[in-house]
Amino acid sequence: MPQSTAVAAAGPGLGDPIRARRHRRRRLPYYLVAPAVAVALAVAVLPLVYGLWLSFQDWYLLRSPTPRWGGLGNYGDLIRDTAFWAAFLRTWVWTLGTVAVEFALGLPLALLLNRDTRVCRTLSALILTPWVTPFIVVAYGWRFLLDSEVGSLHAVFEFFGIVGDRSILSEPGLNLAMVTFISGWKGTPFMVIALLAALKNIPDELYEAARIDGANAWQRLRYITLPLIRNTAVAIGLVLGILAFYSFDLAWIMTRGGPGDTTTIVGIMIFQAFFTELRPAYAATLSTAMLLVLLVVSWLTLRVRVEEGRA
Amino acid sequence: MSRRRRLASAFWDAVTLVAVLLLLFPVLWVIVASFKPDSEILAGGFLPERPTLDHYRAILARSDFLIALRNSLIVGLASAVVSTLVALPAAYSLARFRYRGREGFGLLILSTQMLPHVAILVPLVVVMRSLELSNTLTGLAITHLTLGLPIAVWMLRGYIAEVPAELEEAAMIDGCSRLGAMVRVVLPLVAPAIVAVATFAFVLSWGEYLLALALITSTDVKTLPLALQALFDPYSFSWGEVMAGGVIIAMPAIVLFQIVRRYMIGGLVAGGVKG
Repeated sequence: MPQSTAVAAAGPGLGDPIRARRHRRRRLPYYLVAPAVAVALAVAVLPLVYGLWLSFQDWYLLRSPTPRWGGLGNYGDLIRDTAFWAAFLRTWVWTLGTVAVEFALGLPLALLLNRDTRVCRTLSALILTPWVTPFIVVAYGWRFLLDSEVGSLHAVFEFFGIVGDRSILSEPGLNLAMVTFISGWKGTPFMVIALLAALKNIPDELYEAARIDGANAWQRLRYITLPLIRNTAVAIGLVLGILAFYSFDLAWIMTRGGPGDTTTIVGIMIFQAFFTELRPAYAATLSTAMLLVLLVVSWLTLRVRVEEGRA
Repeated sequence: MSRRRRLASAFWDAVTLVAVLLLLFPVLWVIVASFKPDSEILAGGFLPERPTLDHYRAILARSDFLIALRNSLIVGLASAVVSTLVALPAAYSLARFRYRGREGFGLLILSTQMLPHVAILVPLVVVMRSLELSNTLTGLAITHLTLGLPIAVWMLRGYIAEVPAELEEAAMIDGCSRLGAMVRVVLPLVAPAIVAVATFAFVLSWGEYLLALALITSTDVKTLPLALQALFDPYSFSWGEVMAGGVIIAMPAIVLFQIVRRYMIGGLVAGGVKG
C-alpha cells in the first residue's frame, strides 16, 4: 500500500501508528488461539498437575476435610496393594483382549466393505452405529441380551451349556471375557473405518500386477494388503489400546466391577477409591501410575516403529 | 464373464450385509424390544407380534426423565456453542499465521483429546467441588468442553487451510480488516464444517456418562444417561421402558452423526476420538 510506505518513511518512532499496528497484528494470532489454550490448560493440564500433587498427599475424607503432605506414602501403599495388582493384570487382559477383538472383527469387515458397490457404501455409513451409540445404551442393551430371565443370548449360552441359570455376567472369569468382548465390539466400527481408509489408498495396479504374476486371493492379501495397511493398523491399535486401558463406562454399567472384584479394572478402582472409599489422594496415585505406564508403553511402541522404519 | 462377475458381486454384497447386521444386532435388538409389550419380552421371540408404544408413553410421562432430557439439551447446546466459538478463532490462528509457539499450541490442544477422563477425574471433581460447580449444569458443561473442542480445532484448521489466502487478501485490498476478511470470506466458506463440529460436540456431550456420574447427584440436574440408570430400580423395573429410554437417547446421537459424518470421518481417524 503506497500510502503506508509514505507514512513509514516519515520517520520511525515509538508513537508510530504503523509500528503500533504491526505490533497489534503480530499479537493477533496469540489472541485468537488464547481461549482454546486456556480451556486446554484449565480442563486438562491443570487437573494433571493437581492430580500429581494430590498423589503425594495424605487424604482420607473421613479423617480430614483437607489434604496433608504424605510424601511417597500412597506409592508405598500402591505397591503393597494386592487388589491393585490384580486389577492391573485384569486391565492388561481387558486392553489386549479389546484390541484383539477389534482386529478380529474389524479386519474381515473392512475387507468386505472395501468394494465400490452401493450396498457397501450404505453399510460403511451404518456400521458406525455401535460406536456413536452412547455407552449407557449399548451397556443396557447387552445386559438385556445377557439377562438370565429375558436374555435371548443368555438362552443361546444356556443351550450350549456355557452357563447355567445365572447370567454370564455373574460367572467369574467368563464375565471378564464377555465384557472385554463387548468393549471390542463397541470399538470395532472405528477400526473398520480406519482400516478401510488405508485399504482405499492401496493402488489397484499392485493387485493387477500380482494377478498377472499368478498370485491367488490369499497371496494378494498376505503379500500386498496386509503389509500395506500394517502402519495404519499399528497406529490405530495403539490409539484403541490406550482408550481401552482407561475404560470405565462399559465395565461399570455392566457389572460395577463385580461380582466381588472379578471385573474390576483399574478405571473402576480409581472411581471406587474416590467415591466409595473416600480416598481421593490414593485415587490420584492410581491415575498417576496408570499415566506413567501409558507413557512408557507409548514411548516403547513408537521407538520400535522408528527403528523398524530405519531398518 | 460379466454375468459371473455380477453374481459374485451380489454374493459378496449379501455376505457383507449379513456381517454388518450381525454387528449391529445388539443395537437393533434394543430398538425392537422397545416396541414389545412386557409379556412378549418375557416370552422371548424375535419380532413384536403386537407392537406397542406403551413404553415410550410410560417413560415420557416420568418427570425425572423429562427434566433430564431438558438438562441434556442445555448442557449439550452450551458445550457445543462454546466449543465452537472457542475453536474457530484458534483454528484460524493455527491455519493462517506463522508464529513462535504455534506448533506447541496445536499439539497442546490436540493432546487433550487423547487424555483419558478417568485419569483426570479425581482432580477435576475436587476442583469443581471447591468452586461449588459440582451438581450444576454449568460445571458439567465446562468439563464437557474437553469432548468437542480439540477435534473442532483440528478439523476447522484443516478446512480453513484449504480456503485460498488470495480470497482474503482480495477482501483486505478492498478495505476489509483481517478479522473482517475472516468473518466475511472464510466463515461462509467453512460454515458447513462449523455446523458439523458443533453437532459432533453436542453428540459427544449428549451421551457422556463418567463426568456426569462423578459431578451430579441431585435429580434436578441429572442428564439422560444418569436418568436411564435411575430407571433400574432393583425391585421393579420394565426392560421395555429401559429400552425405550435407550432409544430416545441413542436416536439423536445416531441421526445427527449420520448427517455430519461426511465432514468428520477423516479427522476422527486422525485424532482418535473417544467413543
